[in-house]
Amino acid sequence: MTGAAHSKKIGLVLGALLVVTLPFWAGDQYQLHLAALIAVYWILVAGLNLVVGFTGQLSVGHVGLLSISAYTFAILGGTLGWNPYLAMVAAGGLGGLCGLLLGLPSLRLPGFYFAMATMAFAMIVNELVLANPQLTGGGIGLPGPAFPAPFDTPAGLYYLVAALAAGVTWLTWNIARRMWGRAFISIRDNPVAAQAVGVPVLRAKLSAFVFSGVTAGFAGSAFASLQSYITPDTFVFELSLFFFVCIIIGGRGSLIGPFLGVVVLTALPEMAAPLAKLGNLFYGVLLLVVVLVVPEGIGRMLELIGERIRPRVARHEAVKPDLARLTRVLAEQA
Amino acid sequence: MNARSDIPAFEPVNLAQVPMPRPALGDGRLALQLRVEQVTRLFGGLRALDGVSLDLRPGEVHGLIGPNGSGKTTLLNLLSGYYPPSSGAIRLGDEDLSAQPVQRRAQVGLARTFQKPRLLPMLTVLENAVLGAWPHAHAGFLATSLALPSVAREDKILLDRAAELLHGVGLGHVLHRRANLLDHAEQRFLEIARGLALRPRFILLDEPAGGLTEIEIGHLSDVVQAIRGAGIGVLLVEHHTDFVFRICDRVTTLNLGKMIKSGTPDEVRCDPEVIRVYLGA
Repeated sequence: MTGAAHSKKIGLVLGALLVVTLPFWAGDQYQLHLAALIAVYWILVAGLNLVVGFTGQLSVGHVGLLSISAYTFAILGGTLGWNPYLAMVAAGGLGGLCGLLLGLPSLRLPGFYFAMATMAFAMIVNELVLANPQLTGGGIGLPGPAFPAPFDTPAGLYYLVAALAAGVTWLTWNIARRMWGRAFISIRDNPVAAQAVGVPVLRAKLSAFVFSGVTAGFAGSAFASLQSYITPDTFVFELSLFFFVCIIIGGRGSLIGPFLGVVVLTALPEMAAPLAKLGNLFYGVLLLVVVLVVPEGIGRMLELIGERIRPRVARHEAVKPDLARLTRVLAEQA
Repeated sequence: MNARSDIPAFEPVNLAQVPMPRPALGDGRLALQLRVEQVTRLFGGLRALDGVSLDLRPGEVHGLIGPNGSGKTTLLNLLSGYYPPSSGAIRLGDEDLSAQPVQRRAQVGLARTFQKPRLLPMLTVLENAVLGAWPHAHAGFLATSLALPSVAREDKILLDRAAELLHGVGLGHVLHRRANLLDHAEQRFLEIARGLALRPRFILLDEPAGGLTEIEIGHLSDVVQAIRGAGIGVLLVEHHTDFVFRICDRVTTLNLGKMIKSGTPDEVRCDPEVIRVYLGA
């Protein structure tokens, strides 16, 4: 156990070192842009991971939340000239509010019906954007405001979004390893058991969903600034599926898995530049391979490799109650 | 990021209103009974339960036996709140639980296990057990996400107690094993530990001896005795009649949704009607 914790710590330090030094060894501006895009996507996916990967609710509508908050950021920070940080916080709040309004009716629905409700939401948002050109620029779009110095350079913006991504990762990690994370997994894997131990199922789902709305809000703001111009074509439904697939490929109930999913699925098609046209083919093949070979995802694959390196001694022992200990713990008062 | 306040308020368990720790033995004040009063449950035209009454007392093991289809599981599901009685009432002390949701059962200290163990396969044994303590976890979502010191402290207390319970029921050697790797007996004892993590006043055991070996049933018997000794009331639904008559203080027999005999194990064992419909000559 301590050995595994030790190697996790080393991995974390190495990862942090990579993230911090990336602008110095990245080949060109485009690669830096790509790294920033990965961080932006991860801000959204980290929150969505609590909904899809932990609570097991199949939301495919988060591009709608991304779109709403990106436009909110562009309108408040650009058209109305607000301070970009303030605009970002407002977009985060609005994302959370939209999550609440969408989740309150739809999270009562079982499995696929919930997925359909979120899909409908994403489509409605795109139509609304097109239908209100005086606000959103319609098909022409809006410029995404830049952040003030020192975050006005590509490297500066990269550090800003990387810091945000690290912050969101920390928040989700705190949730995942405590009672809330366990309660989410109980809703995913055994709702009857979840109810029996008193988990308030709807409230827990809503908490995860609202949280994912807030992270989508921050991601949308960063996205608008990073892309410097947003149009309805940016927020296609495929992007929603992309977020969803990142989590499925990464593995449910894992943090590192979906993160690697975002990295691989964003970078791989772009890195193989001559094959850029085949980007969708990459998604398809990778999805197929993962589903067939490691259906539990990249995260689980890493665990299995870890267990191979450090095999656990699985000796069988019979159940043998320690009655004195049981009596003692039952007698203790709250 | 004010996610918490947007959400409808959840009533945390108020320990002042709901005295979670069981009564100290011999202390009559908190010794609430769980009463089933003239409960009938219809499924379409079928009377799954027909005017059944029963009371569970703290520190007592109450057996519930009867042939298949006699209404045992229906009664258990009514007690756990999966559906309400068609008529009659289920009360804990003065509180009418009949129409209350399943989650309320956990809040008032009513735990249960399932005929087919319902565990979380991807979580460890310890994580499965500590989930039973959910009503005692007061840390909110926002506080948890910000890793406030109180959250870690509370989590450690709950985990420590769950680990003690697991050692107590005999699963100390598999605390960090994934639940999907457990054998059948281990799953049964883990469900009991999860129920006890709730600090229940009453625990409903649905065929806990099913699939266990004689030695394991002996261990189960010891564990149930310890639970009774702690002042917790036990409702034992079981087909293994030797085990039931050996361990129970009182036994109720159901047949076709009706109660045919309730009394001490000896009274029930010798009842001609019970012998006719269930035990056999």
